[in-house]
Amino acid sequence: MALGLSITNLTKVWNADGPAPVPAVNSLSLNVARGEFVVLLGPSGCGKSSLLYIAAGLEQATSGTITFDGLAITEPAPERSLIFQEAALFPWLSVRDNVGFGLSIRGGQPQERAERVDALMKRVGLGGIGDRRPEQLSGGMRQRVALARALAMNPELLLMDEPFAALDIQTRARMQEHLLEIWKSSGASVMLVTHSIDEALALADRIVVFTARPGQIKAELHIDAPRPRDLRSPEMIELGRECEALLAEEVTKAFAEQELL
Amino acid sequence: MTDMILSSAPAGPNPRLHAALAKARRRIVATAWVLASLSLFVGIWELAWWQKWANPLLLPPPHIFLTNLPDQFRFFDPTGARAGALNAGGSIWSVLGVIGWSSLRVFVGLVLGFAISLVVGLAIRYFEIFGKLVLPLVTMLAPISPVAWLPVAVFFFGIGNPPAIFLVFIAVFFIMVLATLAQVDAVPKHYIQLARVMGASKRQIYLRVILPAILPGLFVTLRMNLFAAWMVVLIAEAVGVGSGLGQVTMMARNTFNASLVFFTMTLIGLTGFAFDQTLGLIQRKVLWWVGPSTVKGA
Ligand SMILES: Nc1ncnc2c1ncn2[C@@H]1O[C@H](COP(=O)(O)OP(=O)(O)OP(=O)(O)O)[C@@H](O)[C@H]1O
Ligand SMILES: [Mg+2]
Repeated sequence: MALGLSITNLTKVWNADGPAPVPAVNSLSLNVARGEFVVLLGPSGCGKSSLLYIAAGLEQATSGTITFDGLAITEPAPERSLIFQEAALFPWLSVRDNVGFGLSIRGGQPQERAERVDALMKRVGLGGIGDRRPEQLSGGMRQRVALARALAMNPELLLMDEPFAALDIQTRARMQEHLLEIWKSSGASVMLVTHSIDEALALADRIVVFTARPGQIKAELHIDAPRPRDLRSPEMIELGRECEALLAEEVTKAFAEQELL
Repeated sequence: MTDMILSSAPAGPNPRLHAALAKARRRIVATAWVLASLSLFVGIWELAWWQKWANPLLLPPPHIFLTNLPDQFRFFDPTGARAGALNAGGSIWSVLGVIGWSSLRVFVGLVLGFAISLVVGLAIRYFEIFGKLVLPLVTMLAPISPVAWLPVAVFFFGIGNPPAIFLVFIAVFFIMVLATLAQVDAVPKHYIQLARVMGASKRQIYLRVILPAILPGLFVTLRMNLFAAWMVVLIAEAVGVGSGLGQVTMMARNTFNASLVFFTMTLIGLTGFAFDQTLGLIQRKVLWWVGPSTVKGA
């Protein structure tokens, strides 16, 4: 039994029975060990989000197996949490109630829940803003609230779909540091999708580069350098070039295919 | 540097006071425009009277139908018991009573229409078989004008409040069911996916995510249909109830009392305006979060 996320020969075809089936993921195999930080890179539309949704249990694979800690993933579960590019906070709830949403679904003592929410908000550096409305927060703060909301469920796997793509570069760097701290202290596995090679280099234990649609694994790059990493070091620059070259090939293919349509 | 500080700091020593003053100024300006708009209208009307362009018996100007108040009040009877007869000495209270009855009918009809359409709309999406059975029916009934329901209302409910309330209900119900469906379908997918990831059941998703997500948008739709509700209640009162503002208008028409027609129209306009403002207030204070159809994500 493999611990962590284990994907074997997974294929996803959207509208499989419809008139225009869209193959999104093709016979893909990938393991994410307990506590590992894996970053997915790939051209737009290559099936990264599809893979994340399947891992979250929100969508079913067309064929192949996907397990977490040896158990087949068939439906969503709080220990596999998902974070989107936009925080998707509920605008009718205060920040505190957003963070506590999952806990309130689960039930339990209100007192305990409140304490846990307070602790979580401190942990993501948002101690004093529990009573505010989501609309009053900046993009970076919202994304931290979303992170706290996910952490409240004690996730063992964090699935993140371009979580920082909408943030400015400075906020983004801070959020990356933040995420690394939380990742280390929680011991969760992370599977994060990004379009930024720098982000992949700063975060990943392993970068997985996808081919154009339908997504397959084109290459895997391991990074052993300790964090925080100096992206200007010769080693990192070299890795970055490698990623860029791999991606460029696939992006060209993806464009060529789109022009045929 | 000092320039920057000066220009970015709020003028005046107290920023709260400054903000309050600015708000008050905006209010006053807005009210002034409303008054200007009204004055223009009234002015043209009075001019037409003064220049004798219009027959004062058919088109009495505001200064006439708004000044002979005691004379107007005589026609208002909240119970409608002496409908059409000239009573000696109606008072402001009888006028308010008439307005009150019409308003109550609209209010009850709107509340019932809103609540039941919400329940039916959610049920159509929640229970698949119910939806398949009910939705075609709703879609077919929706385009029928509430006025066409008038005979049905009288057959079923006879004379009195129920048929008027029923008609108001009909005027908003079908539209609001369809609006509920549209709103449910427009709830951002991520909201629902997140709730599912957090372990919410279907019931919890409907009650704790979909319901709050659609309420503000539905309230806007309700507010837009308020005027249709007022229109319908007046017709119902003129035909089937025998009291209320609609009855007074009808009586004024039958007796060729143009002054009374315009006086009642003024009352209807003011009451409708007050309703709209109240709904707007509720919308801003209670349902302050913006509808999902207007804001993506966040
Ligand atoms: N719910 C869906 N129904 C039908 N087709 C879908 C659905 N979701 C995604 N697809 C299709 O599957 C393919 C892969 O989409 P996916 O969102 O997984 O790509 P992606 O790698 O995340 O792209 P991006 O980098 O632009 O986010 C696309 O062609 C897309 O149109
Ligand atoms: Mg995507």
